[in-house]
Amino acid sequence: MPEPGEGGGERDALADVIRTLREPPPIGAEFDARVMNAVRRDRPPGVWARAWEWLGEPRTVAFSPAAGLAMAAGLLLVVAATLRLIDQPTGGGAVAGSAETQDVVNGAARPVAMPAPASAQRIRFVLYARDAGRVALVGDFNGWDASATPLRRAATAGVWTVEVPLVPGRYTYAFLVDGTRWVADPAAPRAVGDDFGTPSSAIQVPATSPGGSSL
Amino acid sequence: MKTSGSWTVHAGLAGRSGAGALALRLALLIAAVPAAGAAQDARLAARLDPATRTAVEATIDTARSRGLPVEPLAAKALEGASKRAEGARIVAAVRALAGELATARDALGPSATPAEIVSGASALRAGVSAATLRRLRATRPAGPVTTHLAMLVDLIGRGVPAESASVATLVLAGSTIGDADLMAVRRLVERDIALGTPPAAATSVRVSAAIQDALRATTNVPGVSRAPKRP
Repeated sequence: MPEPGEGGGERDALADVIRTLREPPPIGAEFDARVMNAVRRDRPPGVWARAWEWLGEPRTVAFSPAAGLAMAAGLLLVVAATLRLIDQPTGGGAVAGSAETQDVVNGAARPVAMPAPASAQRIRFVLYARDAGRVALVGDFNGWDASATPLRRAATAGVWTVEVPLVPGRYTYAFLVDGTRWVADPAAPRAVGDDFGTPSSAIQVPATSPGGSSL
Repeated sequence: MKTSGSWTVHAGLAGRSGAGALALRLALLIAAVPAAGAAQDARLAARLDPATRTAVEATIDTARSRGLPVEPLAAKALEGASKRAEGARIVAAVRALAGELATARDALGPSATPAEIVSGASALRAGVSAATLRRLRATRPAGPVTTHLAMLVDLIGRGVPAESASVATLVLAGSTIGDADLMAVRRLVERDIALGTPPAAATSVRVSAAIQDALRATTNVPGVSRAPKRP
């Protein structure tokens, strides 16, 4: 049997040990920061970071000579198509028509391939040329390309028309009848300075045109 | 290397130095972007003979270095090419336009927008004096004058004498009449001319009416009464 005094001393010492063990360990002020840094360091990379890594990751690609030739041909086609786009005189397509008869029809279909800017307004150009076989609209807005903007026959005999989206600005243009005869728009102001001996017309597309404008 | 009928290409940039890999990646990205700035040269190269193109491009480069809008110069050259003009005539037209753009910019001031400069050049070509452009800018030092210049040129194109059109435009510029009303005035003048009114008279009548309407509108504001007429 242990002595009462000795047993009490051991119990007290054991209680001290238990109390010490139960106390939370001391945590420094920088502990949270270290934990968060570790978490951020272990987070998976984002889409762009993975894409960047993918670009630089070495890999082995095997392809047959036929496939290589096909890829080369495809690359040439892409380059040719890009050069063709660069050669397009205008980015947004273009237009022309009688200033007196022009309409602004926002949101309608356009006869051009490139998307028109949001500020573009559809302008209708009209020419009466009863004996014409073909009529083209040619001007600043399509790089003076006679093949870019052909007019279509309207239901009324002899009337040719086309609509084109134009961004605000001033444009010089003319109609080319049957590929040889330049005709100014009889309903629009004449462009000043016929530098090349053929008449042209001018149209001003205003920045805001609530009901269409021919200034 | 080649393996059993196939070409094997070892591709990758990771093995290169950091700066070299970065440069190569940037080069790949840049090469993927179309050279939009080459559009003008491509158009001219496709439509002009080499000698004409060289002369036109020299004029365009000079204009660009002076801060002038250059697209009208390219358009003028393309117009000449489309109309099958001789090279010398195309070059002369482009140089003349470049001179008018420079004069217009000088008259309208350094703050003139490209649209104002282009319209100013058209006005000069139509017979408007540089002094008129300066007076127009002085009348509207802060506001745009593109619409005024367009109206001025179009009136002259309809047969209104340059002096009459200039006076009318300056009067309108000094009023509170906005761009939409300016366009309305121009349409009315054109209609009157089409109906047989002499161009100068049509301009004078319509501009006077527009000024009176503007004055009436400003004096009819609620709470503001018109000054009584003297007997």
